[in-house]
Amino acid sequence: MQVEPAQPCQFGSGGSLFGLYHAVAGRARAAVLLCPPLGQNMIRSHRVYRQLADALAQQGIAALRFDYFGTGDSAGASEESDWVRCVADTVTAAAELRARSGCTRLLGFGARLGGAIALEAAPAARLAELLLWDPVLDGHEYVTGLDAMQEELRVDPMRFSTPRTREDAAGQWLGFPVGAELRGQLEGWRAAPAAVPVRVFDSLPAEAGADRYAQLGTDAEVVALSSTASWDVLDRLEHAILAPDLVRAVVDQLRVAA
Amino acid sequence: MSTERAFRFGRAHHLVGVAGLPEPAAPTAPVGVIVLNAGMVHRVGPFRLHVEITRRLNASGYPTLRFDLSSLGDSSAADESRSQAQQVNADVADAMSLLASHSGCSRFVLLGLCSGAQNAHGAAIDEARVAGAIFLDGYAYRTLGFQLRHYLPRLWSAERWHRFISRSLQARASQGDDVFAVRFPPREQVQRELAAMLDRGLKLRFIYSGGVTRYFNHPRQFRECFGRLADRPQISARLFAGTDHTYALRVDRQRLLDDITTWLRDNFPVSGGSNP
Repeated sequence: MQVEPAQPCQFGSGGSLFGLYHAVAGRARAAVLLCPPLGQNMIRSHRVYRQLADALAQQGIAALRFDYFGTGDSAGASEESDWVRCVADTVTAAAELRARSGCTRLLGFGARLGGAIALEAAPAARLAELLLWDPVLDGHEYVTGLDAMQEELRVDPMRFSTPRTREDAAGQWLGFPVGAELRGQLEGWRAAPAAVPVRVFDSLPAEAGADRYAQLGTDAEVVALSSTASWDVLDRLEHAILAPDLVRAVVDQLRVAA
Repeated sequence: MSTERAFRFGRAHHLVGVAGLPEPAAPTAPVGVIVLNAGMVHRVGPFRLHVEITRRLNASGYPTLRFDLSSLGDSSAADESRSQAQQVNADVADAMSLLASHSGCSRFVLLGLCSGAQNAHGAAIDEARVAGAIFLDGYAYRTLGFQLRHYLPRLWSAERWHRFISRSLQARASQGDDVFAVRFPPREQVQRELAAMLDRGLKLRFIYSGGVTRYFNHPRQFRECFGRLADRPQISARLFAGTDHTYALRVDRQRLLDDITTWLRDNFPVSGGSNP
């Protein structure tokens, strides 16, 4: 199916949120809100999100990609990024997607922290079902991992000819300033059993544990992907995440279900 | 205050970009600034560097456009038979036309990091609307001075040997895997092209990071590379030793932003504008 190129748009209060709407030819048979992760994962997964949205549009499924306040092309400085605002922006983006697509029933997709935000926003955004790719489910564990990687980055001989001071690297995670607010919000967050049907696309290394999605509830269905995404590997910090099997798996799923 | 507007534009309606436009009442800037992709990273730049640069410049009165070249980021292919260099030049021309129509600027400064610097160089060769360029980790060539500064200190320092070996091993392990890998044309060609740009009145700023010590390791090297060309008043260079290639730390990004803003104000002052 021939689809129109994605249309950049600005929406939300004062047009502060940037998005790309992937329209379909004719009436959309479903619509998916693509919630990005934060920080470097957002930049690294940009290509996959575009590929996924294009693939969905070819199946007659409209999609909206967007940036939260303080991220990507949206208004706000990186240090203003805030968990509560991310959740609120997701609700705003859902309304935008409903208005543009004419679909009242929306599905949500999110990778890593984007999955966590989709989980949190699902009731208020009225997302009927969630498709989560390696979602973060334990904020404290995630914060601990980012702190460790930031320390590793500070002394990385491939990046800096001499190690940088702790002061130079403080208050940042892998290239992005982090406000105390966001840090605190993430540290205290842990996923609760999902309020809507959830399908998890899992490309984390096997050692992460087979039961890591148990806290989403017994109904959560897990699809194991053949490739392993290099989310938390410092050597890959500036490499795009490639996941052809993720795009295929999500599209296959929605071809049947949506 | 400034406003940002997202556009799909270009000769095949295939490019996506975000223009930053100072308030209509602001003093008119003599140039707009166009920011090109760094490697494969979409227009926001590594660690959102391009967003920070463009917003800082908007606050100083300069209109800006950060956009994705054909097939990068959110832009599509133009479906035309041109070489990659021709395509880049045509995309940059489209970007200048867009920013001109929304800002009133008729001349532009191109800014790019790594492959972005290479593309800015290529576009600046023939495009009459280019008034200047800021090359982040742009062209430079190893000189005798470079070799001496690079190898001599290692002879007597065990720690430097250790770091050199570990960097070399890691580099070898990820060979062919560098997302910012670029290939430089011969020095004589670049020197000739830069001279022609200066003859046309372009103003050029080279900023090197500590992330490219494999080919640039001292401010003096710029003159060692380019000879008397480097003495001309419209061209200047600076080295931010100790930083990485993509300015991952906030403190490094701030220094870079300060340098870019100061250079623009000195070379393309906003008439009657205040300096925030």
